[in-house]
Amino acid sequence: MDHAQRDKLSELVEELTNSGEPQLNPKKLNEVKKICKISIDYIEHFYHLIMTQLAQDHAEIRLSAFQMVSELFTRSHHFRILLVDNFQEFLDLTVETDSDEPLPPPKEVARKLKTLAIKTVQEWQATYGEAYKKLALGYHFLKQVKKVDFHDVQARSLAERKREEEKKERLNRIYKEKVEKATKEMDEAKEEIERCLTEINNCMKLLLPTEFDLGDLKTTTEATNSIASVSSVPNEKTNTSMDDQPCCSKDLDDGRKRTDPETSRGMSADEEVEDSSEDEDNVEEVVDEDAFIRNTGLISHKYSLDLNLSEDLKLKETEENEAVVNTMKDLYTLISTKHLPAVRSWVQVFTKAGVPDPLLRQAIDLKNCLDRALQKHKDLHIEYKARQRRVMKAPESSDEDDFEEVPEKEGFEPHIPGHLREEYGLDEPPSTSVACKLSVQPPVNHHAPSVPQFPSRPRNRTADEDQDPTCAASTLRLFKQRLPKGLVSSPSSGGGVDPKDMARDLSEDRKIAPVIPFGLDLYYWGKDQPTAGRIIKNHSQHQFWVPTEVEEEVENKELAAHMKSRYITFAGSFQPVKHRCKAPMPNGALCERQDRVKCPFHGRIIPRDDLGKPTNPEDAARLDKEEWKRREEQPDWRDPELMRDIELATGEDLGSSKTFGKGNKGKGKRKKKYPNLSDLKKSGNTSRSRLEKKVFNPSSMRRVTDVMNKMDKLKHAKFANQFNYALN
Amino acid sequence: MLGFLTARQAGLDDPLRLRRAESTRRVLSLELNHDRDVDRIHSNGVNTLDIEVIEGRYMLSGGADGVIVVYDLENNTKKPQYTCKAVCTVGRSSRYVHRFSVETVQWYPHDTGMFVSSSFDKTMKVWDTETLKPAEVFQFEGNVYCHHMSPIARKHSLIAVGTKDQKVQLCDLKSGSHIHILQGHRGEVLSVRWSPRYEHILATASTDSRVLMWDVRRASGSLFSLDQHNGDKSKASSQAVNTAHNGRVNGLCFTEDGLYLLSTGTDDRMRLWNSANGENTLVNYGKVCNESRKGLKFTVSRGCIPEFVFVPCGSSVAVYALHTGELVTMLRGHYNNVDCCVLHHDYQELYSGGKDCNILAWVPVLRLPDIEEGTVAKKGGSQATVNPAFQDAWSTAPHEGGRGLTYCFWILLTILEVVTRP
Repeated sequence: MDHAQRDKLSELVEELTNSGEPQLNPKKLNEVKKICKISIDYIEHFYHLIMTQLAQDHAEIRLSAFQMVSELFTRSHHFRILLVDNFQEFLDLTVETDSDEPLPPPKEVARKLKTLAIKTVQEWQATYGEAYKKLALGYHFLKQVKKVDFHDVQARSLAERKREEEKKERLNRIYKEKVEKATKEMDEAKEEIERCLTEINNCMKLLLPTEFDLGDLKTTTEATNSIASVSSVPNEKTNTSMDDQPCCSKDLDDGRKRTDPETSRGMSADEEVEDSSEDEDNVEEVVDEDAFIRNTGLISHKYSLDLNLSEDLKLKETEENEAVVNTMKDLYTLISTKHLPAVRSWVQVFTKAGVPDPLLRQAIDLKNCLDRALQKHKDLHIEYKARQRRVMKAPESSDEDDFEEVPEKEGFEPHIPGHLREEYGLDEPPSTSVACKLSVQPPVNHHAPSVPQFPSRPRNRTADEDQDPTCAASTLRLFKQRLPKGLVSSPSSGGGVDPKDMARDLSEDRKIAPVIPFGLDLYYWGKDQPTAGRIIKNHSQHQFWVPTEVEEEVENKELAAHMKSRYITFAGSFQPVKHRCKAPMPNGALCERQDRVKCPFHGRIIPRDDLGKPTNPEDAARLDKEEWKRREEQPDWRDPELMRDIELATGEDLGSSKTFGKGNKGKGKRKKKYPNLSDLKKSGNTSRSRLEKKVFNPSSMRRVTDVMNKMDKLKHAKFANQFNYALN
Repeated sequence: MLGFLTARQAGLDDPLRLRRAESTRRVLSLELNHDRDVDRIHSNGVNTLDIEVIEGRYMLSGGADGVIVVYDLENNTKKPQYTCKAVCTVGRSSRYVHRFSVETVQWYPHDTGMFVSSSFDKTMKVWDTETLKPAEVFQFEGNVYCHHMSPIARKHSLIAVGTKDQKVQLCDLKSGSHIHILQGHRGEVLSVRWSPRYEHILATASTDSRVLMWDVRRASGSLFSLDQHNGDKSKASSQAVNTAHNGRVNGLCFTEDGLYLLSTGTDDRMRLWNSANGENTLVNYGKVCNESRKGLKFTVSRGCIPEFVFVPCGSSVAVYALHTGELVTMLRGHYNNVDCCVLHHDYQELYSGGKDCNILAWVPVLRLPDIEEGTVAKKGGSQATVNPAFQDAWSTAPHEGGRGLTYCFWILLTILEVVTRP
């Protein structure tokens, strides 16, 4: 055996197995084969090399090694003998037969290796199974003891294909059904939609003066034919153009007439003519210049007319156009809730199923029409009247005052306006809520409006209502009973001021006023406090013995202040930070941190523009200075990038990795031996590992032990004389 | 071989000599032969094997699935390829089948019409081979680990049974009853063996790491217990009693002549004892992997010059020279732990059963016929045509061509480079 060849073989195997690539380099593999071909000795050597590589704790190495094995296995009888002789170990290392020794990470590669190995073993069994008994035994072992499902591996592709086909077929069927259904629906609904569109278009026509440019609104729709004729109406025509209405509009002339005054008023507001409106009318109609001058009596042609046509249309619902607007509104809801979603779903179904063109086009056309109609409706900006009120009003033409308009209400109302209290069977405020009473505003009871204003209710009825537990009155009665009598219904002074107004003011005040707990200061509110802050010491009760000097009264300022004042802590409310740091980062982005004052990475937060440059010149100057300073510390020639380049070029270590501690260390320093292999240790960048790094780094450990030692020492110092502490 | 034969014919040699030489050679050349297969009946591990000694034709196997199979080992087909057929089976469908794992099976030593099996279902059954029905069922209180009938007994027909109980039970086939118990162990009894030399001598091994020798005629207690330190108190000071191993003792086997006893334990050791006085012969077999919690069945060759011992060792069967402790070879073929092995003493064929459900037959390699040189080549050639799997398949041409092309390309490139260089 040639030593050079042998070494080359080792080298090749090493390179190939450590390539980390899913496929072997065919060139190198060929060389390996060529060497192995020379003699049996090389094959044996190769076998040993491969077995060591297979035993490596890296799935990629194993995978590559396995691929080489399968290459050689099909070629060399001797290699087959060697491998089959040690087939147990081989299976352990590749198929994971021993559950105690799982395949090494990375997981995906390991899985790949396993499936590949199983497949390959099956192939081997098919070709060489009879000749090599142990191979057959191993195959049976896998099949029967390890329950490896070889058939699945083999049949998977076939079964998968079949399954896929079935799925496709099923989908097709479903689509077909859907399409049929949609077509049917469309045929049914088409007429209705078209009718609906026609209707809405007509409504619009009715509502709008013709000069409103409808051109863009109706084009392709088959349904909007009637409107298309409208678009042909010349725009210059003003109100006079009514005669030129197309026939379909003429049919509805009466309706139009009704709406016209309204709209025209709106229009005239919009079209603000700087000169007089009559002028404008005339100007537009005249064609002949001379005639024009003659007719108008204007001296020159050089008048410029500014027409201010606002684009926004505003339609107001009035009693005249009410019916049309109502219809339009109904149509609008019909389209937006029913037709449009339906059409959209058809379009979706058709596109998904890939139906013939005309059907899809039809659906899309419909959809466009509907969309346009909706858009038009939106453009009109119709101001609807409030519906509920209209409903109320409709029968109410007789102007009866039996019913007063009241705002709607439901259930229990904590605040009942004063004038309604009687109706509710209540007596008067001011104490509608408990909170109010307990709150420590200066007593306002005497301002409260009094009952006597509403003397009407008979008392017994109130009593009745009180009995009813569902009534609000009873609840209030309960409140009343619980509260001290004096507070509930103090007789009001009923001064000259209008008590109602007063009450309203107060209740508003009360809403704003904070609720604070009762305290000593309130206890002494408005009173003279003779004893406040004084501590009176009692005389000695002793018969004979009297203390020498007795200060009878001690004035305690703190206490006194406490009795007269109140602390209110003002915490303020949380103001969320809105600005960002925005300092430019190396990756080109801007720092997104939202610290209030100072960013931990970029220092004080200063206003910056969108590019991350400071807006204030002094800030910029300061930053520049700092940068300059940092540069100073690291002279130019020691620029890490440059140094690394030089090092790469010369191959000498200039210490670029040393100069820069943090960022550059990993890159330059240790070059991995096999860069293509996925690094098993790298995957350890988990939250756990990061925490571990923090927790178990030596300095923090030292700190912790220091503290613990200190505590221990303290204990010992403190309880040194007690035997049970002294021992531990 | 020829020399032996002529010497034998001339009467120069002792007839035993040829026999010994040949059987030794055969044992040494044991290998997994793909001409010999054993039917795969068991769906679970094979726990025990036994070959009858009358004809040497039938083999019993007991599996962890409770199935008992009788194989016919004799090849009557006159072809080298032979698969040992299962003659009859006590399968899961039989109503007499053991419910749990069968731990030991043994032929009745004097007749193939009967065999005994014991199982984890706490029973020991005596079967009639003809009808495959149990003639007698012995019930025990614990799982039965092992049983043994004396191969040479004339005066008694006792079966020694080791169970989960500490007491060794003696059952009499004549009366069909438990007639005796031997008290002395402090743990489960994993293996029992009758001496092939003295019909009343019994060796038992237990989880209390002791091996006891009994004379069943003596009621009071064991004769002695084997001591791994041979009474050297300094080494055994920590233990009050003699121990044979430092773990469970789960296998026992007497040599053919009954003079020596082998024991295996979970301390991964095998020890050879003088069965007469219980002395540890201190033969070092090295590490014999042994993780079994149950009994281990191993065997010793018969009639070879150095005797050999075949002992399961992990997933292979280790062959040691009995008296020197030298590891002769490892028979690797099973894919899971091997539980039992048995040697066919007439043909020196080894059968081993393991947890991978296989029973493997290890057959001596036949001597290659001595043929003149010219025919050898022919023979080799024809063999190669017989089995294409043994051929090498090196693909050659395309790579050569490809390399040639790339070489040309390279030259072209270098030329170009030279030309374009300023």
